[in-house]
Amino acid sequence: MASLSLKGIQKIYPNGFHAVQDFNLEIEDKEFIIFVGPSGCGKSTTLRMVAGLEDISGGTLTIDGKVMNDVEPKDRDIAMVFQNYALYPHMTVYDNMAFGLKLRKVPKDEIDKKVREAARILDLDKLLDRKPKALSGGQRQRVAMGRAIVRNPKVFLMDEPLSNLDAKLRVQMRIEISKIHESLGATIIYVTHDQTEAMTLGTRIVVMKDGIVQQVDTPQNLYNTPCNLFVAGFIGSPQMNFLDAVVNIAGNDVTLKVGDYVLKVPESKKQALINGKYNGKTVVLGIRPEDVHDSEEFIAANPDSVVKSTVKVYELLGAEVYLYFDVAGTQMTARVSSRTPLRTGDQAVFALEMERIHLFDKETELTITN
Amino acid sequence: MEYSTQLCSALNELKRITGIKLEAAAQTPEEEERVLNQIRCLCTAYKEKYNKNHFLKTLMTQNMSSIEAAEHAQRLHIAPDERRILFLLEKKGPLDDTVIEILKNLFPSQTKSYLIPMTDCSMAVLRPVKSNESEHELSKIAHMIVDTLNMEALAQIRVSYSAVMGHLTELGAAWQETSLALKVGKLFYSEQTVFPYNRLGIGRLVYRLPISICEGFLQEVFGNEIPEALDDETTATINRFLQNNLNIAETSRQLHMHRNTLIYRLDQVEKRTGLDLRKFEDAMTFKIASLVMNYLQTERNTQT
Repeated sequence: MASLSLKGIQKIYPNGFHAVQDFNLEIEDKEFIIFVGPSGCGKSTTLRMVAGLEDISGGTLTIDGKVMNDVEPKDRDIAMVFQNYALYPHMTVYDNMAFGLKLRKVPKDEIDKKVREAARILDLDKLLDRKPKALSGGQRQRVAMGRAIVRNPKVFLMDEPLSNLDAKLRVQMRIEISKIHESLGATIIYVTHDQTEAMTLGTRIVVMKDGIVQQVDTPQNLYNTPCNLFVAGFIGSPQMNFLDAVVNIAGNDVTLKVGDYVLKVPESKKQALINGKYNGKTVVLGIRPEDVHDSEEFIAANPDSVVKSTVKVYELLGAEVYLYFDVAGTQMTARVSSRTPLRTGDQAVFALEMERIHLFDKETELTITN
Repeated sequence: MEYSTQLCSALNELKRITGIKLEAAAQTPEEEERVLNQIRCLCTAYKEKYNKNHFLKTLMTQNMSSIEAAEHAQRLHIAPDERRILFLLEKKGPLDDTVIEILKNLFPSQTKSYLIPMTDCSMAVLRPVKSNESEHELSKIAHMIVDTLNMEALAQIRVSYSAVMGHLTELGAAWQETSLALKVGKLFYSEQTVFPYNRLGIGRLVYRLPISICEGFLQEVFGNEIPEALDDETTATINRFLQNNLNIAETSRQLHMHRNTLIYRLDQVEKRTGLDLRKFEDAMTFKIASLVMNYLQTERNTQT
């Protein structure tokens, strides 16, 4: 397997479209890296540059220390799994997996060994004689993976490989891909726009927007310490609540005014606001839905962080409930226990867990404190 | 009998396409030349009469009367009135055996699909369309061709596709459509890999304009000092600004640049081109002018 280094990678198309800007990333051997971001953010373009399917306009790509910018895709020792894969309809699963190796004139016995080994990893041993039309969506996807695995590449590149599958299959295949990563010990770069996929699969995640890397970190760190408003809003489902708040610094007391509510800022968050001279300025207060509480005990213990509103929507998801309500004209979501007595139309009191709030500069959208 | 290399390959070609094994007797170079010509004529005649690809390529690129086309189609057992679509794919670099083999297996002959080599780097795929196949599904097939060749052949591929044809005689028009889509797509939408004939936008308009009108338009916009090319940094700044709907705050944030720096750069562009990109009208003119400049540049490169 392999380590990769992307230094100052850029992609400018001949029509002037600047798809990727100054992309820097060091990928270690056996890492599972996720490129995530909204459609058009440059994640697939970056992956295609790694693959050699797009020319690199600037910067240096190295695989295992060797500069790859001008190396032909077939000489980069990579394998790809893309979204719109096709299985050869008249071939069996075995032949589908063996086809690429046959084209490369790999000896028959070696092909057989590789195909059977990949089939074992993917749990396809019993399906090797079947034709694609006799396979389920998930099985077909596994065959597509198998075609990549038999090549035994240094790096696997996957571009939204699960997006053509239904929600249930996607969950199953996520687990399969995780298992494959563990059993192969492979270096994988995986592109998705689905943040759940990113959070569950990646050892590290690269969040991109408009061709620019926003943050590179572990899933947990991205969730807990986003570097800006975009990352905070993109990672997490339901997404983080954002409220405009005016900072008031009076000596050692720091408060945030949200509409008619005055919220007391805890010790751990004060200093960043004081140092940044935010007194009188509007900042963005971010709080995750699970940090908005409706329990009486919590509300009683945190009287300085209470807001009141009418529940607009009650959404039961089994073990938990999402409550939607407005505060200072902005919609908020609370993720509470299904034992909550609150229902649509009820007058409700919520307390924000102020130790868990995030504050962002309204102009630069960068994080002030997490 | 021993043959010259040329004669040998001509005989092999004849055997390959017709299955007929001939022996030739030529004592002098003149006789050999005559034999070679006869074998070549035989090959051409056979291709014209029996080779489906040859017929389809002729139908696409040359004028053939509908009666003649119908006769040929009948002789070659090609249903003339089947619904079909034409995909045109182009590889960066010559098409190799791997690509051709993959395409043959993606579109096996049993499915009544035809692979028609057009140039060293391009291949047309004529595929029947089922009655329940929507435009979305046809677009997915085009993406499937790109993704599969990316994955299996590790090849850079672009694909354009035509409207659905109702009759084989529409093949010429479909060829025109796909060729245009590929040219316009590569020129104006180079970040994409699939170009549907009916999604070419303003690029189609610009591409159809005569060179003299394009030059006149640039003269009108920029006067005598037509900017050959703005530097990379300025181009990137302008593109980002246009992508962000002329939003200064968002653009400066994305480019990690102070808003005053961005404003300074936009002022410089205004000084140079006379266009204030902060105004919609000027931004639109600049965008169209840059498409025209791009087009002219490509035309000049093609001519040289």
